Amino acid sequence: MSQARKRRPIGQTLRIVGGVMVSIIFLFPVYWMVLTSFKQQVDIFTSPPTFWFEPTIAAYAEYMTRADILPRLINTVVVATLSALFSIIVGTMAGYALARIQIRGAATFGALILLSRGVPPIALAVPMFLVARNLGLTDQHITLILAYSTFLVPYVMWLMRSFFLSLPRELEESAMIDGCSRYGAFFKIILPISLPGLLSTLIFSMILAWEELLFALVLTNRNASTIPVAIAGIAGDTVNGANWAALTAVGTITVVPVVIFALLVQKWLIKGLADGATKG
Amino acid sequence: MGTVQIRNARKSYGSVEVLHGVSIDIEEGEFVALVGPSGCGKSTLLRMIAGLEEITSGHILIGDRIVNDVAPKDRDIAMVFQNYALYPHKNVRDNMGFALRQRRVSRDEINVRVTEAARILGLEELLDRKPRALSGGQRQRVAMGRAIVRDPNVFLFDEPLSNLDAKLRVQMRSEIKELHQRLKTTTIYVTHDQIEAMTLADRVVVMNSGVIEQAGPPLELYDNPATLFVAAFIGSPPMNFFEGDLVGGTGLVMGDGTRLALPEADPKGRQRATVGVRAEHFDLAEKGWPATVSVVEPTGSETLVMARLAGDVVRVLIRGRTAVQPGETIHLRPQRGSLHFFDAAPVPEVAQMEDVA
Repeated sequence: MSQARKRRPIGQTLRIVGGVMVSIIFLFPVYWMVLTSFKQQVDIFTSPPTFWFEPTIAAYAEYMTRADILPRLINTVVVATLSALFSIIVGTMAGYALARIQIRGAATFGALILLSRGVPPIALAVPMFLVARNLGLTDQHITLILAYSTFLVPYVMWLMRSFFLSLPRELEESAMIDGCSRYGAFFKIILPISLPGLLSTLIFSMILAWEELLFALVLTNRNASTIPVAIAGIAGDTVNGANWAALTAVGTITVVPVVIFALLVQKWLIKGLADGATKG
Repeated sequence: MGTVQIRNARKSYGSVEVLHGVSIDIEEGEFVALVGPSGCGKSTLLRMIAGLEEITSGHILIGDRIVNDVAPKDRDIAMVFQNYALYPHKNVRDNMGFALRQRRVSRDEINVRVTEAARILGLEELLDRKPRALSGGQRQRVAMGRAIVRDPNVFLFDEPLSNLDAKLRVQMRSEIKELHQRLKTTTIYVTHDQIEAMTLADRVVVMNSGVIEQAGPPLELYDNPATLFVAAFIGSPPMNFFEGDLVGGTGLVMGDGTRLALPEADPKGRQRATVGVRAEHFDLAEKGWPATVSVVEPTGSETLVMARLAGDVVRVLIRGRTAVQPGETIHLRPQRGSLHFFDAAPVPEVAQMEDVA
């Protein structure tokens, strides 16, 4: 009896094993990327693949000093941050309006905006390029920021809409009776409560913008080009062949800030996700 | 001025009218309960008074001002919601002081008023807690505290006790009544629980399907229900009803041919009627309406006897205790002057909801 009580229930053991396996499937490519970035060319192609080798930071040293990487990293930071912030401001207010304010045709309008997410980006890339060129806006930060907002605003809008729907309506009503206007209730009561959800949405938006390749490839050239474009360039180097160490080194540099950021705000990230999902 | 006048107020959602022209005059300091089954329009009416729902037609006056187009914040009202709607990111003190801060009351004044309200409600120890660290009853008190620090013209309560367990509900009910006797602020209180309405209010307004069935002091509604609906809705245990033909003035012939002798005739002289008798208005006698006892429920001070009469359940409330046993046949004699006559109609299915929620 006492022994049976000590033993973990079989279901729990299975869940743990399953969780570990899923984690390995997801984490191994990342691990392999980081590992490869510290290898020399000969170690990269050893068969069978080796976990033990003499590490080198040659790839980092080479690419960090190359003129086109650092500016692109800065571009990525600027574009990801600004497009995410812009989309959060616009998308949150739009999501609130869709969730709470009775507007004729709001449901159709919301669905149409969501539908725009269904259009393959490649179909939009060419028209977007033509528009940008006609406006003389190619290869500029603002162009990418606006282009990213076309998919980030709907994303934020729908996430925040469902988050707002999960909040009891009486909170705003109470605030409005207590002396707030609709705007006051939104800014003084709803926004502070929504902070976890807002923060997690902001992080996801930044990550989406951070790793975006297609629009950056089409709309930028040199000044506003981002890291994913650089990676694509290295991978598609037809003259020298793909430099795998360089590729994985730049890849690691791209991923690390996102991971650090996510770890820092993990507490709110999880709270935000859980809040939106379960709060009745 | 804490008077509220509702004049022929209507509410439609699209083409569906849910409130069909309701008029009530509420006096300064009065405690009015709006009671009725769910979907009767009582909450909608309250929200219209609060300014949370538009008024489709008609007028609502608070004091002598028509408030149809006045924003909720400018109506000088306070409202307690069923789910309390406490601001989760603010502690008790800031929850209670929020409305005053919105009105730019000085910090010292806010402090004085919050402390006073907390003292009245016994919340002094909890002022620095967040709502999530409070029990249901405490949250309810904070919601009331938030309303009373305002010192508004009118209190609006929307089913404030429904989320509490039965014991706490009874306790808070007394507290609300005491609070009203102390503050004498005009109060409009929505509930589906007729006991709550009866015990709290100076005047009870019974609503059904978007109209007012009857409005009056609680005991008047109990003693003289104007409609079959009110008769069925007010009172616990519910009133007993017998439908049949009135023969020779004081005979009631029911569907299955059972003939019951009535102690008095219908003052309106109907041919067919539904006759109501409250459970406590039966005497056990040697001769009377024969009924077979099915269940006996003693509660100490009184005993509820359920019996079958011509296929219907009859509830009889006996003061004190009784030796009546299940299976036994008893003879019921309605007391003189206790009969309620209504036009013959099926008894409305009124859920006695005191056990729900």
